[in-house]
Amino acid sequence: MTKSEQSTKQNKVCLETKLNGLTLRNPVLTASGTYGFGEEYAPYCSVAQLGAITVKGITPLPRLGNPVPRLAETPAGLLNAVGLENPGLEDFRKNYLPKLAALDTAVIVNISGFSLEDYALLAGTLDEASAEYGNCIKALEVNISCPNIQDGGMAFGTDPQSAEQVIALVRKNTKLPIIAKLTPNVTDITEIAKAVESGGANIISLINTLLGMSIDISTQRPVLANKFGGLSGPAIKPVALRMVYQVFEAVNIPLIGMGGISTWQDAVEFMLAGASAVSIGTANFVNPLAPLDVLHGLVDYCEQRGYKASRELVGLAH
Amino acid sequence: MYLKVRVIENRFVGHPSQKIYRLVLSGQLALKAKPGQFIHLRVAESHDPLLRRPLSIAGIDREQETITIYYRLMGKGTEALSQIRENDYISVIGPLGTSFTLAQKGEILLIAGGIGIFPLFSLLEAIDRTKVQVKLFWGGEHKLFLESAGLNYLQKLGIDYELATMDGSLGHKGLVTDLLQGYLEKRALNSNPALQSNRGLAPLSAAACGPKGMLQAVVNLCKQHEIPVEVSLEERMACGVGACLGCVCTVREEGGILRRKRVCKEGPIFAGEEVVWDDEI
Ligand SMILES: Cc1cc2nc3c(=O)[nH]c(=O)nc-3n(C[C@H](O)[C@H](O)[C@H](O)COP(=O)(O)OP(=O)(O)OC[C@H]3O[C@@H](n4cnc5c(N)ncnc54)[C@H](O)[C@@H]3O)c2cc1C
Ligand SMILES: Cc1cc2nc3c(=O)[nH]c(=O)nc-3n(C[C@H](O)[C@H](O)[C@H](O)COP(=O)(O)O)c2cc1C
Ligand code: FES
Repeated sequence: MTKSEQSTKQNKVCLETKLNGLTLRNPVLTASGTYGFGEEYAPYCSVAQLGAITVKGITPLPRLGNPVPRLAETPAGLLNAVGLENPGLEDFRKNYLPKLAALDTAVIVNISGFSLEDYALLAGTLDEASAEYGNCIKALEVNISCPNIQDGGMAFGTDPQSAEQVIALVRKNTKLPIIAKLTPNVTDITEIAKAVESGGANIISLINTLLGMSIDISTQRPVLANKFGGLSGPAIKPVALRMVYQVFEAVNIPLIGMGGISTWQDAVEFMLAGASAVSIGTANFVNPLAPLDVLHGLVDYCEQRGYKASRELVGLAH
Repeated sequence: MYLKVRVIENRFVGHPSQKIYRLVLSGQLALKAKPGQFIHLRVAESHDPLLRRPLSIAGIDREQETITIYYRLMGKGTEALSQIRENDYISVIGPLGTSFTLAQKGEILLIAGGIGIFPLFSLLEAIDRTKVQVKLFWGGEHKLFLESAGLNYLQKLGIDYELATMDGSLGHKGLVTDLLQGYLEKRALNSNPALQSNRGLAPLSAAACGPKGMLQAVVNLCKQHEIPVEVSLEERMACGVGACLGCVCTVREEGGILRRKRVCKEGPIFAGEEVVWDDEI
């Protein structure tokens, strides 16, 4: 199929995705930490065709992250313990944001903190910084779910009260739409989902990685220098899908589903479970065109089934 | 580039016990590839193994538009790769990463540990040996390994080399760095003392690839003798393009500040002196 055929095809199915204050041209995004700052995959996959990109988690101060090995492959999965390596807020604002502003796609900035003050500072500063660069940040994704750092991060995402508190504080410090990113490492994800909803989140994204480990039987030591890491990829898809399905029934705000999506069929499953949009993470590493393959497959599916808009799929499995 | 390329050859070379394969791929990759760079291969259209595998470019033939890779069976990924047949198509991202500096004159020392010889093959091929004198040091487990991993290729090239094996079955018994140390010490003795160190001799540089411990020793020796050295680093990789921060190494910047660099993007070739080794952090 030629490019023009493809685009006329896309025009037949409405892809516009409205997420409670965040409007995207289509429902296919890329996941934080798997897509760098948008330029790494640019030679292979045009960002102009993506609904949005989510950049690596930013913390107030620069972080070196964990020692190597940071990666271990497992059956149908990937364990990572990057440990939130990032340039820090100042450097991000000065040297990364201007480049992100020039990209022809919606940019979502993922933020991570170790204290409530961290989240307040990140939200306030990025709100200002976005205005400086033509309102280039379309939403903040608040990571209360990182499993790869010692203190903070996931701690905020495993207790409903703290989760609500963090989101409420971010709400006070920004006018940007807030996406609360949930960890699956909890007993009842719907509790946390309800808490961030009452804290003022516009959107919920789920799931972050599942805490896991791998041991090298020749050295008899953990493979990852950090011992534990976050599991992503096809292996976690059934867990992610179940959580999206549960959270869809528990809250009234839209969901961005992720966790092991590598084909359009996976994406359709997530939308049927209740995700209004989907995010592609680990699959990019295998197939840099995965987001576009997902998008095109989704359009075909809608067309063949006679849907006029992709949003019609959301929650149909309930 | 992100493309499907045809497999021209994929078979084991040398003694089967050494599990070394040669993979020849056709396509425009060859027109862009530089010595030291790598490709990121999808070894199977499956979820397990899931990730691509990074392999160095060992040979570049611009006329035939082919590149050659040598790989050793390690686990699932390389096992799956070895099953791919000639004339099948395979998904490749590359060429990726930085390349070795090509010496234009003087003398270059190449130091390889084990399968670290593979990326050096492409450098050997690219150096103009009418202008640059090459001296290679290569260490491996034993004779059978060296023979299987390309010793006769080196003999065919007719370059000057010294070998080391752990069991003494070929060449010096011990480490390849013993050979390098001996050579550098002899060279320093022979140099004109009035000129101090080796500044009076033809420009000397070095390039090395192998296990981290070996590279660290090579860099230290080169520092002592004031020889600029480039090292090819290896690290576990996921994306291969700089997006996941899985493959970092540590470098020291001016002012002593530590920073991470991505082996897949700012590397795999690094200036030896900038690398901070794991036990120095
Ligand atoms: C830039 C670069 C160039 C390389 N060039 C060559 C080459 O020319 N020839 C060659 O034989 N090998 C090369 N390697 C190593 C090769 O990528 C690994 O041997 C291979 O990925 C192992 O996969 P596996 O599934 O067979 O083994 P696994 O069962 O996954 O692992 C076996 C061992 O290989 C190592 N390893 C696993 N995954 C990786 C990875 N992604 N990157 C690095 N090491 C890994 C681990 O130390 C592990 O203990 C290179 C690696 C890098 C990073
Ligand atoms: C290497 C790597 C780094 C990640 N870094 C972050 C991060 O900085 N912030 C965050 O919220 N999620 C991070 N994630 C989680 C992903 O955004 C995503 O939630 C998770 O990987 C599940 O999706 P997937 O299976 O499609 O990869 C990271 C994931 C990977 C694999
Ligand atoms: S492998 Fe992802 S940054 Fe190098």
